[in-house]
Amino acid sequence: MDLSAGFVFTCPFKTNSGNKALSHLPVELAGFNAARPLVVASAGTEGQKAVRILKSAFGDSGMTLALFDNVTQAADLGLVDHLKNLCLEKKVDAVIALGGGKAADVAKVLNLAVSLKTPDARQLLPETPIRVRLLPLVVAPAAGADGLETSRFAHLGRKVFSSESLAPVLAVLDPCLAKGKSSIGMAAAGLAALGRAVESHIQADQNPFRKAYSFAAIRFVRENLPAAVADPGNRKASLALLNAAAMSGCAFSNAAAGRLHKLGQVFYDLLGIPQGVIMAMCLPHILGDYLKEGQYDLAALFQPLAGDDAFARTPAGKRAEAACDLLNRFLKELQDALGKDLPKSLAEAGVPGYRKEEILDVLGADEEGRYLCGIVERVANGRPERKG
Amino acid sequence: MSIIKDVPSGTKPFKRAYVAIFLWFTGRAVQAAARVDREVKKEFDSLPENFTFSLGCLPSGPRMVIGKEGGRVKYLGSDPKGRRVHVRLIIKSVDAAFLLLSFQESTALSTARNRLMVDGEIPQALSIIRVLNIVEVYLLPKIIASLAVKRYPSWWSMGRKLGGRIGVYTRTLLGI
Amino acid sequence: MRHCRAGGQRKTGKEGVIPMLLPDYYEFCCRVKIVAGHDALGKIPDLLIERGAKKPLIVTDKGVAGAGLIDIVSRAIGDRVAAGLIADDVPPDSDLRVVNRLARLYRDNACDSLLAVGGGSVMDTAKGVNIVVSENADDLMAFSGAGALNRHLKPLIAVPTTAGTGSEVTQVAVVKDHEKHLKMAFTSYFLLPDIAVLDSRMTLTMPPFITAMTGMDAMSHAVEAYYCLQKNPLSDAHARAAVGMIYRQLPLAAKNPEDRDSRLAMAVAACLAGIAFSNSMVGLVHNLGHATGSVCGVPHGLCMAILLPYGLEYNMHKRADIMAELLLPMAGEEVYLATPAERRAEKVVSLIRGLNEELHAVTGGRHARCLQEIRDREGKPSVPRDILPEIARAALLDGASIYNPEDTDYEDNLLVLEAAWEGKPLDRTRVKKG
Repeated sequence: MDLSAGFVFTCPFKTNSGNKALSHLPVELAGFNAARPLVVASAGTEGQKAVRILKSAFGDSGMTLALFDNVTQAADLGLVDHLKNLCLEKKVDAVIALGGGKAADVAKVLNLAVSLKTPDARQLLPETPIRVRLLPLVVAPAAGADGLETSRFAHLGRKVFSSESLAPVLAVLDPCLAKGKSSIGMAAAGLAALGRAVESHIQADQNPFRKAYSFAAIRFVRENLPAAVADPGNRKASLALLNAAAMSGCAFSNAAAGRLHKLGQVFYDLLGIPQGVIMAMCLPHILGDYLKEGQYDLAALFQPLAGDDAFARTPAGKRAEAACDLLNRFLKELQDALGKDLPKSLAEAGVPGYRKEEILDVLGADEEGRYLCGIVERVANGRPERKG
Repeated sequence: MSIIKDVPSGTKPFKRAYVAIFLWFTGRAVQAAARVDREVKKEFDSLPENFTFSLGCLPSGPRMVIGKEGGRVKYLGSDPKGRRVHVRLIIKSVDAAFLLLSFQESTALSTARNRLMVDGEIPQALSIIRVLNIVEVYLLPKIIASLAVKRYPSWWSMGRKLGGRIGVYTRTLLGI
Repeated sequence: MRHCRAGGQRKTGKEGVIPMLLPDYYEFCCRVKIVAGHDALGKIPDLLIERGAKKPLIVTDKGVAGAGLIDIVSRAIGDRVAAGLIADDVPPDSDLRVVNRLARLYRDNACDSLLAVGGGSVMDTAKGVNIVVSENADDLMAFSGAGALNRHLKPLIAVPTTAGTGSEVTQVAVVKDHEKHLKMAFTSYFLLPDIAVLDSRMTLTMPPFITAMTGMDAMSHAVEAYYCLQKNPLSDAHARAAVGMIYRQLPLAAKNPEDRDSRLAMAVAACLAGIAFSNSMVGLVHNLGHATGSVCGVPHGLCMAILLPYGLEYNMHKRADIMAELLLPMAGEEVYLATPAERRAEKVVSLIRGLNEELHAVTGGRHARCLQEIRDREGKPSVPRDILPEIARAALLDGASIYNPEDTDYEDNLLVLEAAWEGKPLDRTRVKKG
């Protein structure tokens, strides 16, 4: 590994994973001198279930939790502003994001608003300088978490906030929250975590710390996603996926955003399609192109995907192609298992033409816009990926 | 009405009760083992006079306190009563204590899994952990104890195991 | 109920792959920002300014200053921050009096951050100073209990000058009170430095003997972290990355001290190993190593180098399959494929012995391969055979035994020490297996 270009790496969050992980939360908060946390949870049955699990874990702690349990896809900076005022009144000293997705986004931006004591959170911009230390943020992801929870990013109100300060200080991965209900939910989450981990892993700049996280994430998804899809309630597999997501978020925070991520993000923002679904659609095309372009370290994927034995037996020169093969086969197995639930094209996903145009418009503004738009066209009707 | 609700944390009366009972039992078993087992006696002999240790859970959980008084090892209940506590074994929650005291996780594993914090001088804490391991061997049948301790002392004589077990149980139940 | 089960293979998953271990419960934390490179020091001013700091107290020792390393640091920092205040009198063993004196110096000069340049003792001292100045403490002892620290301390940047102890990424600090004959241990995630700066220039002047023993210290961290009780997926990933880098780069760095690339690689590897062991703990090797060091004054790294193969042998009946997994990352594909699966753990042990042999040759015999070979500065044997019982007893007082896969008592300790003294492989049939 040639380290001469130097690198920087950070993982701001502690990981507590496994049986009764949530029950340590009161002690962890006390470790930050926090006694009045605000819990941010999603609306709906999944959110309520998560709240019940959390409340049970806090039993015997003597703490009172402040709870906002109505985060929906419509959450915006106006909501954050309202919550911020209430938090300041209640002297909230920690924030717990329960579940993933929007709840985590809201929690991060809320933390920012409360810590900065912003007069109007609607005026918050990604460029707003952060000169104070934010309140401790804990994320307790649930099934369906795809890794952005532990990352430095928060997407809210069409803005992308990005700062090390936004990342949580603690990720609690509890099996009770890990168990899912729907196979496609698990698949989408796992594939999104995988996609971002893969793109972090193959970047040309050498960073062994980042690679440690992406290696673990890729391996956990590879070994556990099929089982979690077959049985979303599988305790071990679902916990492993939560681990993979958390690690993927960290690796992603230390890497440049890749093509899979950009595509996944834009479809999610505009059409609400889970990022993993889009990544699965685009993966075979993009992999083929990465392989052709040659500046990505695709060979590095082979070991986490295939295991030590296969890695040792495969000549170095063949590993990049072998890794792509493996990934494509892995994807195919999932598509076979899920059928229509994991669409192979935008047409299959029911994306109308005019919405595709909206996507192309947004993507066009990206520095890789032309390439990304090309991929969108290729997956529009399920054209087979170009080989070699 | 505020969109933020206040949710008081509940209680876990059954787990608390289980933990309290087991701590009581373990406390008295340690007191008993100090009279019955020569290794336990040796460990305590190496500790200073008035040495006191506690095993309990956060935040205000059930607790057991053991102290040396006049050369004898005594179970002091749950309150150190102003004595200086030399070693505190702190379990992070009632849930974690339940795992430990229902033998789902051994002492060593519990520490390894960060369930247990050890406060105090390490050599003394190690003595206490060795004592607790021996007590587990006495209290539990081999099939459970050998999973709960790192290395089941298969070289103990039958006499030691049997005699010790009877001695510890009797003294624990009678509190002598 | 789960405990480290005897020997045995983990269940293989699809296509004969051994699945990655996910413990029933684990915790992992390394909040330290890592900045590495041939000019990592140049980033220090920005890193301080980002944290609202502009006047660090530089904490170091005479050895580091004498080697010219502080000059390099000062030049690299330039004048964007006021980094002129240098305290270079940290003793080889962290001392409470020094901690208090440096804290006074910090306050008197209105410093706002700390820059620790050195090895383990310098790092411990800087962490101790950080507690005192951040908490305005009169009595450092008051902060030594569990949970005593519950808020962030002043910014601390750690620049290691060995590769290494890994203390730039540990949450522990040990400070000795020589007046009361007490060793105070502080454990808190708040003690983690904010930043670890790994710059190849900081280890360029390390002579082969020191390079060898600090490198083997790092190797022992990575290897023990991989097979001890608190292992978890993230510590494993860091440890795997570390063992390969150390195995390949350490002989290079010892033979060619001026090779910047291997120096940087060793600094990075030692940091990875530090992260691994501070999240997975260590076992018998450190247990006996600490005792040997404290009874006989043998440098820590040398104890680690000699005892490492024995730690593996002692625990092999419980962890052979896990140890075997280290062969591929350590030695590469060819050696891995040439070694049948059931021999891989033993191969790891023999490779480590081989590494010690190579370092012995490179250092002209100064890197001892067994305890009886260790010589002090006057050339006298440091570890006479008759002192082994005392070491075996002292090891009973050390906490590393908690995380060792197999139990250890006085007899076990003595068994290992005797073998390590003679330099013969451990007779594993004599290990009590319970």
